[in-house]
Amino acid sequence: MSQNPALDGLPKHAIERLKGLRESGQSEGIFTSDLSVNEFLMVREAGFEPIGLCVGSCIYHMGIQYGQWSQNQELNVLSQAMYHARELAMTRMTEEAQAVAADGVVGVRLEVKRLEWDREILEFMAIGTAIAHSSGHPGFKGPQGRPFTSDLSGQDFWMLLKAGHRPLEMVMGSCVYHVAHQGFLKSLGNIGRNTEITQFTQAMYDARELAMERMQNEAHEAGAEGIVGVNLHEGSHNWQPHVIEFFAVGTAVKPIEDQSVLPEPASPQIVIPVND
Amino acid sequence: MGLLGRIIGGTPDPDAAKHLAEQQARDAAWQTALDSGRLPDFVIKRLADTREHKLPWVSTTSIGSLMAMRTHGIRPAGMVSGNCWFNFGFSWTKGHAAGWHAAIERMVDEAVILGANAVVDVRMKVSRLAELGREQMDFAVYGTAVTVDSLPPSKKPLVATVSALEFVRLLEAGIVPVGLAIGAHYDWLYQPAYMRQSAINSLTAAPYMNREMATISQFVNRVRQAAYGLLASDGARLGTGVLARTQFSELLYFEPDENYPAGRCMYRHIAMGTAVQHEPGMHRPVKVKAVFSVQDKPMRRSLEITEEVI
Repeated sequence: MSQNPALDGLPKHAIERLKGLRESGQSEGIFTSDLSVNEFLMVREAGFEPIGLCVGSCIYHMGIQYGQWSQNQELNVLSQAMYHARELAMTRMTEEAQAVAADGVVGVRLEVKRLEWDREILEFMAIGTAIAHSSGHPGFKGPQGRPFTSDLSGQDFWMLLKAGHRPLEMVMGSCVYHVAHQGFLKSLGNIGRNTEITQFTQAMYDARELAMERMQNEAHEAGAEGIVGVNLHEGSHNWQPHVIEFFAVGTAVKPIEDQSVLPEPASPQIVIPVND
Repeated sequence: MGLLGRIIGGTPDPDAAKHLAEQQARDAAWQTALDSGRLPDFVIKRLADTREHKLPWVSTTSIGSLMAMRTHGIRPAGMVSGNCWFNFGFSWTKGHAAGWHAAIERMVDEAVILGANAVVDVRMKVSRLAELGREQMDFAVYGTAVTVDSLPPSKKPLVATVSALEFVRLLEAGIVPVGLAIGAHYDWLYQPAYMRQSAINSLTAAPYMNREMATISQFVNRVRQAAYGLLASDGARLGTGVLARTQFSELLYFEPDENYPAGRCMYRHIAMGTAVQHEPGMHRPVKVKAVFSVQDKPMRRSLEITEEVI
């Protein structure tokens, strides 16, 4: 027993490392991840162990489609491309997770990079950390026994379980939309008037609606009860000024079925910080 | 004759020759030390004096960390650092792993002299010179060496890229941050221009069609997998897991030239982060308590409100 009371509760391996007695870890069974130390702590607190980094990428040549100058319309070739390429990246990431027998992937980031040297090619990447339940409980898998996917952080994952839900899969909806240009006479008519331009309202509304609709349908098919942490991104990927993408993404969830792994609920203590 | 006099070029410094000789001796000491993989005597002396409390300790940690260290029997031993100015002879990507490793090794050597058990709050910094572009740069690390009461000094102090506050929290949960792991890899893909054309102009596709460029996807994936493989083996040298928060990747295209008439692509990926030691399946609950803060953000001045809502 050491004289430092703070060391008393520490595991033997930790003290050995601090003394410099143990040179290194182990040659097998190492995990990789992109979790922060706090996320790592919270994933373990939730009863899971990280297994490995999972990545899926897809370099995609976007088809060409032009909207009619004066017409609001979805550019379905581009919508499909944005969805298809992301789906390929996500599927590849999930396959990697499945190969290491993971229960799921947390902290998924879905990135789209434009390339300097070619306007028509986009790089899509899905990256996250595969995790597995510490005692191998089978009740945390995603749809059809595949690993679940979620863009929630380690902390959010812990809180989601505390909320009595488990993640199923990351769901998304994409809509690339051409917002019609206004005709000359119409613009002329608006001079000096405070007025809504319904044509533009309609375009923004419709594009958002289509993206949300698709995301919701995806969650429905996955057998979800709800979707949490939804983010709506508006973006343009090297397109003309009137072309925008609405991209909705979130994590489909359902209640934890097995009562034996349902965590105690946590009601937050209200605090007021007294520093700054 | 003061410093000012020397700068404005007044009477020559009577000690100039002496100062020059001193500087040259220091240069030589650094040269010998770096060549033989050790520290110069004057650095060793300063650190040894700090260890014996002849000099005050130096700490980079926050005051909150200092508070947490006290309750855990951890004391600051001194600030330690190391750097490595690296020339990328054949690979910028691979050079990153080599540069950081060299800098960390030097920092750990300093921590050993202080009799430390760990270096916490380790920060990383790079410096460049504009005229050298991406050909050379400096990799620097610095942090606070700490001792743990009642433990003997370590021959190989841990390197923790987390604050002391997080360090003690992790120790309590049975997780030990032990070092920095890096995986860096790059490769070339030849004839991307040809592949692009064939992807677009094949019998089944036209330029206006969506199409995955599968060869490039596979190439990118292969390079990244190799980087992760290196990350895992570097991590295994140190601990049982790697928390690689920093990831960088780049897909570059080089126009056709006489050596490569069909052009070429390069992909590189660098992943690095904290290596940890833990026992999988043996979690010590930290009993997290949820709190809800009723503190508001201060209202913004009307002149500072930007596009978000107005």
